[in-house]
Amino acid sequence: MTHDSNAGASAMDRRQFIKISALAGGGLLVASGFDGAAHLAVAQAAPTAGLAPVADFAPNVFVSIAPSGAVTLIAPNSEMGQGIKTSLPMIIAEELDVKWEQVTVVQGDLNPAYGRQFSVGSGSTVANYTAMRRAGAAARAVLVEAAALEWNVKASECTTANGVVSHAASNRTATYGALATKAAQLPAPANVTLKDPSTFTLLGTRITGVDNRKIVKGAPLFGIDVTLPGMLYATYTKCPVFGGEVVSANLDDVKAKPGVRDAFVLNGIAGLPSGVAVVADSTWNAFSATKALKVQWNEGPQVSQSSSEMAEQAVALAKANAPASLPAGARAVEAVYHYPFLAHATLEPQNCTAWLKDGVMEMWTPTQIPSSGQGLVMKGLGLSAKDVKVHITRLGGGFGRRGSNEFSIEAAAIAQKFAGTPIKLTWTREQDFAHDNYRSNGWHFFSAGLDSNGAVVALHDAYIKMLGGPGDMAATGFPFNAVPGSEVRSGKLRGGIPTGYWRAPGDNGNVWATQSFMDELAHAAGKEPLAFTLDLLATVPASPRFDANKMIAVLKLATEKAKWGQKRPRGEGQGFAVCFANNAYVAIVADVAVSKAGELKIKKLTAAVDAGTIVNLSGAEAQVQGSMLDGISAAWFQKVTIERGAASQTNFNKYPMLRMNHAPPVVDVHFIPSSAPPTGLGEPALPPAAPAVCNAIFAATGKRIRTLPIADDTLKWT
Amino acid sequence: MGKYTLNVNGASQTVVVESDTPLLWVLRDTLNLTGTKFGCGIAQCGACTVHVNGVPTRSCRTPVSTVGTATVTTIEGIDTPQARALQDAWCELDVPQCGYCQCGQILAASALLTSNPHPTDADIDTAMARNLCRCASYTRIRAGIKRAAELAATATPANGKRT
Repeated sequence: MTHDSNAGASAMDRRQFIKISALAGGGLLVASGFDGAAHLAVAQAAPTAGLAPVADFAPNVFVSIAPSGAVTLIAPNSEMGQGIKTSLPMIIAEELDVKWEQVTVVQGDLNPAYGRQFSVGSGSTVANYTAMRRAGAAARAVLVEAAALEWNVKASECTTANGVVSHAASNRTATYGALATKAAQLPAPANVTLKDPSTFTLLGTRITGVDNRKIVKGAPLFGIDVTLPGMLYATYTKCPVFGGEVVSANLDDVKAKPGVRDAFVLNGIAGLPSGVAVVADSTWNAFSATKALKVQWNEGPQVSQSSSEMAEQAVALAKANAPASLPAGARAVEAVYHYPFLAHATLEPQNCTAWLKDGVMEMWTPTQIPSSGQGLVMKGLGLSAKDVKVHITRLGGGFGRRGSNEFSIEAAAIAQKFAGTPIKLTWTREQDFAHDNYRSNGWHFFSAGLDSNGAVVALHDAYIKMLGGPGDMAATGFPFNAVPGSEVRSGKLRGGIPTGYWRAPGDNGNVWATQSFMDELAHAAGKEPLAFTLDLLATVPASPRFDANKMIAVLKLATEKAKWGQKRPRGEGQGFAVCFANNAYVAIVADVAVSKAGELKIKKLTAAVDAGTIVNLSGAEAQVQGSMLDGISAAWFQKVTIERGAASQTNFNKYPMLRMNHAPPVVDVHFIPSSAPPTGLGEPALPPAAPAVCNAIFAATGKRIRTLPIADDTLKWT
Repeated sequence: MGKYTLNVNGASQTVVVESDTPLLWVLRDTLNLTGTKFGCGIAQCGACTVHVNGVPTRSCRTPVSTVGTATVTTIEGIDTPQARALQDAWCELDVPQCGYCQCGQILAASALLTSNPHPTDADIDTAMARNLCRCASYTRIRAGIKRAAELAATATPANGKRT
């Protein structure tokens, strides 16, 4: 049977799969890619497919078992730190009943046979959970059938464990490897039985990342590490003002710079922002020559945009979108919360390598949505799907940034001018900050009403954000669903600033504002915040979408583990916040200390999470720890401001992020045991971390943070 | 354009590049040692950390013309007991998330453990604050350094209780 190194298979390749697989008896063949060093070496040595041993058992596109007993599993989705390259194959291995030590994981290329290869919206596990289980269970069933035929016993009398089929009554066993050749001749089962989750032995355990050893040795795994024979290096310079276009450029001056092979303007290609490409014999020579580039830009209409002007727009929009008045007699509590634009700032700058040869554009892309990169290249350059092959590299961070794929069309458009030569496009850090799809800024104009007992009788919000992009909010989530008659009205800034998906879109700002205001409301009502929130949760009407009891459970667990409510000296405090996102329930307690001089220390974070079945405990815990600190990093330090239609922050010296010395020494994560299907987990612990910290700052100092980043304000107290 | 003979990972390497080329790009593009990462280009993130004469150095701001005969050690070449202990601890505790910063983190941490075999939290804060982890895997980086300190103490007679 065939391994295809180009798993982004062309239509012809796929027809061939089906033809060969029919000969093999109805199962599908493995369509595997190669990753890391092996991938690159193969690309250099033999870009066409290699052949696997004929007797490999490959019952579906995800599983291959060699007679040696080696089990190869395909990881279909992009790995960007969320652990999906380890966790999806774990799900297959669980149902397949193999030892994890037997498994080799191979990164899949873009291939429709793999199903949903998007890594966005904390959806990879949710969307692939059943498919991965079925892939493993189907392979296991065929191996059992092979053993049963071999031994002339009933398949139902056979059991499996650790890559071995056993028949207890006759005291016979056979390894999967020994059964592979026979199994390869059997048809795939029409129906498979999945395990009872209570019998899982692998899922829920701690499995370390499959690429860890390569990472710590510096092996080439990332898009930016791709090296191909005769490769040239490119930069692509776009107008600093969003949407601006090239009028002219000093191309001859740039072409005269050391190592430069060409410089040219690209205009009028669908999906490709107007810009100037510089191609050189090294990244540095491309960067150096780009510094000498002088472009006359048509800056376009966005040049009039600024963050300060948006703040004025927001006030006017809030008036125009004012929610209903408060009930007569209610005591009004009003507050305005504001958060700025954020950059994604993936540590690996955007990049892509493209190679046009024999009419086929072969690409190595660190992307969260490989099919969308392929689509951009097809549309922009007039190529068909079979002529745009996409290899998925490891991503040096995603956070939503690599859901958009403009680097793909940029690299491919440059490569088209250098047919036959691989082109690696690398953005400078400055280009990365200047051409992001930012987290939208936002304003929440809250108004709430309290009755004479301190009960919340009205809760309204005028919510202002940039036109377009994600992050819309309705009055359906907690706490709005706990207060009958709640209203959220939205107004949109006029747009034109590129905004997009930033980890936990919408929630990353909205939950901070809402959960901070709820703490403010508890204090205004003269109530203890935990009791206030638990009381509100108890009034949420039952709904199939949101189970208030699960939220109550995580909040009780987090506050119990964090020893909520102990008396603390002035300058120290606890705060909590809750979040429901991607079907997961999260509660976080922050312990902070603020010196009189205003220095903030986060002493401890405690999270309780109900995320259904935990696939990989190590990865799940890392996601919760990392996303909490990511949320705090953004809230504490980060801000992109717009002046003259461009981002003012150009590099990490002007865009500080959380460092080791800011990280709390203790970050505890507790999961609620559950056999429910897994929820998303890459994002839901991010939104409640910042409000937990801000509420703790209030408890410590009496200072309410209503504008982010926290570092813009002083926390001094006397 | 100039010709430079460098001592990289114990081997003599002659490269012909522009004299202002940062060591980072000589390593990555000329010598194909891509474990050293490009993050910011202005010595702010630490992804490009290498050892020059054993000192953690930002290779993105180190012109090749200034390196001379100094010994350059990258993640591909470092093989000290401290570095091996860090690499083992990183795997054992599953430290990496995206992993892009981790070569720089390990080179910074190996210099710390070489000079200070049992660092406190405050020592770790000071030594590691210049290395950005965008995934914020700091909790496990800190634990990884402490675990590596244990492993190195066990593995190295000079530092350890066991011989």
